[in-house]
Amino acid sequence: MIAALGLVLGIIAGLFLEPTVPTWLQPYLPIAVVAALDAVFGGLRALLDGIFDDRVFVVSFVANVVVAALIVYLGDQLGVGSQLSTGVVVVLGIRIFSNAAAIRRHLFRA
Amino acid sequence: MTAGDDVERPGRAGEEATAGPEPVRGRARLRSAMHPRATRAQGVAALLCGVLGFAAAVQVRSTQDEGLAGLRQTDLVRILDDVSERGARLQAEARDLQETRDRVAGNDRVAALDEARDRARVLGILAGTVPARGPGIELTVTDAAGQVGSEVLLDTLQELRDAGAEAIEISSVGGPAVRVVASTSFVDAGQPGSGAGVEVDGTLLAPLYRFLVIGDPSTLQTALEIPGGVLEVLDQRGAQGVVTQEQSVDITSLRVTPSPRYARPAEADQGSADDG
Repeated sequence: MIAALGLVLGIIAGLFLEPTVPTWLQPYLPIAVVAALDAVFGGLRALLDGIFDDRVFVVSFVANVVVAALIVYLGDQLGVGSQLSTGVVVVLGIRIFSNAAAIRRHLFRA
Repeated sequence: MTAGDDVERPGRAGEEATAGPEPVRGRARLRSAMHPRATRAQGVAALLCGVLGFAAAVQVRSTQDEGLAGLRQTDLVRILDDVSERGARLQAEARDLQETRDRVAGNDRVAALDEARDRARVLGILAGTVPARGPGIELTVTDAAGQVGSEVLLDTLQELRDAGAEAIEISSVGGPAVRVVASTSFVDAGQPGSGAGVEVDGTLLAPLYRFLVIGDPSTLQTALEIPGGVLEVLDQRGAQGVVTQEQSVDITSLRVTPSPRYARPAEADQGSADDG
């Protein structure tokens, strides 16, 4: 409940404060968002499985974001930045779908 | 590495093992999690979800706002290439279209129209649908003996045409006038020698006949005066032809444009194909 409230608050803050994304962060922010989304879905699934642990959630969230950003950074340096970010997004998208499927089975038995 | 990683295996295994009671437990857990409690786990989750929401909102906003500003250098170069290539293509197309427009709407069109008008005027003179004026001769034929028939007038006409006459009118002095065209016919009105006159294209012309001819005056006169020519023939028949050269001959009699009932202009390429 509080988590959902936090999500809504964060969205509202982002919409109303209108912060400017720093240039150095611009390539990494979208990937970081997708990675964080993956972590949140994983956490929700863990919650439904009864194995949610806040420490694991924090570590996975931060690690997800950092690793995703790192991969994109490395890709940029190697000159394959756009392809590598596409790959990261595909992988994370697959994980989000599988986690969402597990959550769906938990909630709807289907 | 991630929560998904951490829970994926046990979650799937547990689900397959206990497919029946699992959903109920899952829902109960969700319900219990929905109760606001100030536990550390709830707080941390709220914080991270807030960060996610914030970042997502910012990213969505910047994507909507900036467009090109958020792109990588390589992407920008590719886009620039695309745009410049497209620009060159469109420029070439614009050049082509401009040329076409100039050709269609520019001076050429006026010139074509003028040329068409000139052609229509020239053809009108040949077809007898427009009045004509120019240097030429006036030929007056008296017929005291009534010996000038259709064949004499026809010979005269052929002689004039051979000499380059461009527009011809035949009239009986003080009477009707007929514009001579390609289909003009001569028919004797009465018995030969009766002097009843000649029907030219259905119009009865009585002597004295008068030819108004536009063409080179001296050539026309010479053609009529050659030995064995028109004037000599007239002389033999007791008639008399008088030729006067004129600086300006006005031919005003007109002919209605014939509209063919059956013949239609054939396509030019079709005709050539038939020829070949």
